[in-house]
Amino acid sequence: MANLKYRVLLIVALFAASAWALFPRTVVERVKRNGVFVYDTVKRVPLKRGLDLQGGMHLTLEVDESKQAVANKSEALDRALKVVRQRIDEFGVSEPVVQKAGDERIIVELPGLDDPQRAQEVVQNQAFLEFQITDKTQALEKVMSRFDDIAKQQGLAVGTDQKVLGDSAKPTTVTSLLTQKTDTAKKDSTKADTAKAAATTGGDSASKTPAATGGLFSTNVQPGQLPGQYIVPDKAYPAIERALALPAIQAAMPPGKVMRWGVDSLGTATEKFRTLYVLDARPIITGEVLTDARPSTDPVEGNVVQFTLNNEGARRFKTETGKHVKDNMAIVLDQRVVTAPVLNSAIGRNGQITLGGGTLQAAQDLALVLRAGALPVPLKVAEVRQIGASLGQDSINKGVLALGVAVALIIVIMIGYYKFAGVLAVVALIMYLVYTLAMLAGFHAVLTLPGLAGFVLSIGIAVDANVLIFERIREELDHGKSVRLSIDEGFRHALSAIIDTSATTILSGMVLYQYGTGPVRGFAVTLVAGLVASLFTAIFVTRTFFLLWLDRSRGTQTLSI
Amino acid sequence: MLRIFHDTKYEFVKHWRWAAGLTIAFILAGLITFGITGGVNYSIEFTGGTLMQVQFKTPPNVADVRATLDQAGITGAEIQQFGTATDYTIRAREEKQVAQQAAGAEGISKEIQSALDKKFGAGAVTVVRTEAVGPKVGSELRSGAAMAMLIASIFTLIYLAIRFDWRFGAAAVLSTVHDILVTFAFIKLLHIEVSLTVVAAILTLLGYSANDTIIIFDRVRENLRKPHKGMTLGQLLDKSINETLPRSIMTHATVLAATVALLILAGEVIRPFAWVMTFGVFVATFSSIYVAGPVLLWIESKYPREEDSATARAARAGNEAAAAAKPSGGRPERLATR
Repeated sequence: MANLKYRVLLIVALFAASAWALFPRTVVERVKRNGVFVYDTVKRVPLKRGLDLQGGMHLTLEVDESKQAVANKSEALDRALKVVRQRIDEFGVSEPVVQKAGDERIIVELPGLDDPQRAQEVVQNQAFLEFQITDKTQALEKVMSRFDDIAKQQGLAVGTDQKVLGDSAKPTTVTSLLTQKTDTAKKDSTKADTAKAAATTGGDSASKTPAATGGLFSTNVQPGQLPGQYIVPDKAYPAIERALALPAIQAAMPPGKVMRWGVDSLGTATEKFRTLYVLDARPIITGEVLTDARPSTDPVEGNVVQFTLNNEGARRFKTETGKHVKDNMAIVLDQRVVTAPVLNSAIGRNGQITLGGGTLQAAQDLALVLRAGALPVPLKVAEVRQIGASLGQDSINKGVLALGVAVALIIVIMIGYYKFAGVLAVVALIMYLVYTLAMLAGFHAVLTLPGLAGFVLSIGIAVDANVLIFERIREELDHGKSVRLSIDEGFRHALSAIIDTSATTILSGMVLYQYGTGPVRGFAVTLVAGLVASLFTAIFVTRTFFLLWLDRSRGTQTLSI
Repeated sequence: MLRIFHDTKYEFVKHWRWAAGLTIAFILAGLITFGITGGVNYSIEFTGGTLMQVQFKTPPNVADVRATLDQAGITGAEIQQFGTATDYTIRAREEKQVAQQAAGAEGISKEIQSALDKKFGAGAVTVVRTEAVGPKVGSELRSGAAMAMLIASIFTLIYLAIRFDWRFGAAAVLSTVHDILVTFAFIKLLHIEVSLTVVAAILTLLGYSANDTIIIFDRVRENLRKPHKGMTLGQLLDKSINETLPRSIMTHATVLAATVALLILAGEVIRPFAWVMTFGVFVATFSSIYVAGPVLLWIESKYPREEDSATARAARAGNEAAAAAKPSGGRPERLATR
């Protein structure tokens, strides 16, 4: 019975290998400790849990073409992929997935993430950096009346009376807001200008209720404390943003100037304001010349990002900043003004961006996106899934419970019906569980919730091959054949049905894998791996058990089946 | 030996008219509900839109939640209790909202969250799960799922045509089409939301039902090779079904045990999957006996086998003499070489 010995050896070896593959082990892995990355040994079970089972965030990004069409999308996406990957790698998730899906999308998976909002910003920030000098010539005031006319023609207004009435209370708030921060001398003069502008555009009919007909811009846009900075109430923000995008307004823009919104809004509990900047259109440098950026904390300025420029950038930056001493330089990220500090002297290779009270995390994130470079194209979120960690754990508990109960029920059914042969089938079933899980671990399959459900279901189906064989053996015994012959014939006759059913299942599993995404793919892998394991256990393992039994009990006339 | 359904002699095929009537009634009921309520209840991943599963500290008044969302401009959201009294799902998938998501899928979920925070106070509402899908992704997924079903059916047809005979393949595929129709009727009647997971369940069901059919057909093929003493094909089919009945009952029992365990214990998220699969166990049993069999008979009557069409015709006619004289000579050996 040398043949039998090899059979047993193969089964035992495979079982041992599978068990070893599933045993938790210690691996050296990059993990996050107190916000810093370190390499450390951690204990880890080889089967990875999907986002839906451990909690986390799944993002699908695609090229945003709403502003401008992108010529070579696939290539642009490849470059974007590199940037996103680099940012995510530095971001602080232990096992992120960043990959391209088709020619159109990037998939980002961040397991166990606790701050999805922040992740999204880091991924999506285009990180196009510009340094632009703010306008000192009050260019906006000069074109304000024209802007108002255009806005009126286009029917744009903050509109409702109620809002305009609210406006009348606003100037005081704005003034008080600003006086707390800076000296009032210059502001008063600009304020007078605005008032004048409002009066002229208002016309005669407006004299009674100047606020109501003062025009979209002149009523809502108040000068801020810096040259080129303006304050806009949050309510008027959408209307003004829309107005600024109008081609007519674009054409009426003062030559050589651009308008950019600030990143933050400021204000009191009741009123919120946005900042609007008028800047020189030509940037003195852009982010391309940046070589490094690091977050740091400055005793005076709070959290800052220090950056280093390359040789060419440093030379240009020095001459340009030299020309603009005492002016304000706006640091513009993705067309939003982060901050606009005064240049006290020429700056060379090293500079810093003050965040004006931003958190250290904000500084870290900004440094991170600057360092990783700019996205070649803007990206937008096409799909987001976010699952809380507790929900994931809950799903696992329930899934494992269902698995346990299903296995128990099947064991009862099989042993109850097939007695001794049923016990053999149950041992084979337990091997099936271990083999399948080991195979999944080998494929680096990710265990998802539908995958877990598919696995539970596969146990019900896995015994089918054994059932087919056992029923055949019974039939052969009915025909009065000997036990040994019945077992042989039973296996032989059941084989064609088993092969045909398995082949069709594997075919549909492959189709599922090809056309499915995410969770469904995991499901398909579970299905096919389970089927292979079930074929092996039902045909080979149970057969060996029977052979062993026949070997031990020579001349037995009855089989408990 | 404990035995159930051993050595049975039920006449299944005879009752095909009843079975067909039952199936057609069921499909019609599905179609009528389809006509009344309109459309399939696709999940967010297919239609585009936002789903949020939120957990309130205390059970909220649903009307309050709705009013809050309406105020925030999220009109027509579906608010549903989900599991416990404090768990709710909010679905926003009005056309307008979906169109808005083209600019970035995450927008609406932020609005919902801030509206809820404002109304119930920060911290009183925990977002457990968010899914937001832009409209483009959804329509692509939908065509992908339909594609998967079509291709899976074609593969099954080709495989069975090679392994058996095109008649068996065609019968199996037609019974698969029946399974799809009946399952959709079931999904419609139970108002199950069609998600990717449910699509996976439908595909599993189709595979499972095809398995069942194949096992019966395998027995038919085997019985055809043996001398069948003037049995009509219908009788042969009945015999094959009866012979495989113990196997069918056992396998369906174990699979049912697994699906019921999933249905009861595995939680709300997996329930649609478990429902479809539980139903699938019954559909598979029914369709492999009452659909695949009669369809096979029908195809055979239209397109008798060429090589021994005389035999087949004779066999169907129950002409004992002809069947005994001609077939048992050449046929078994030729088939055995396949």
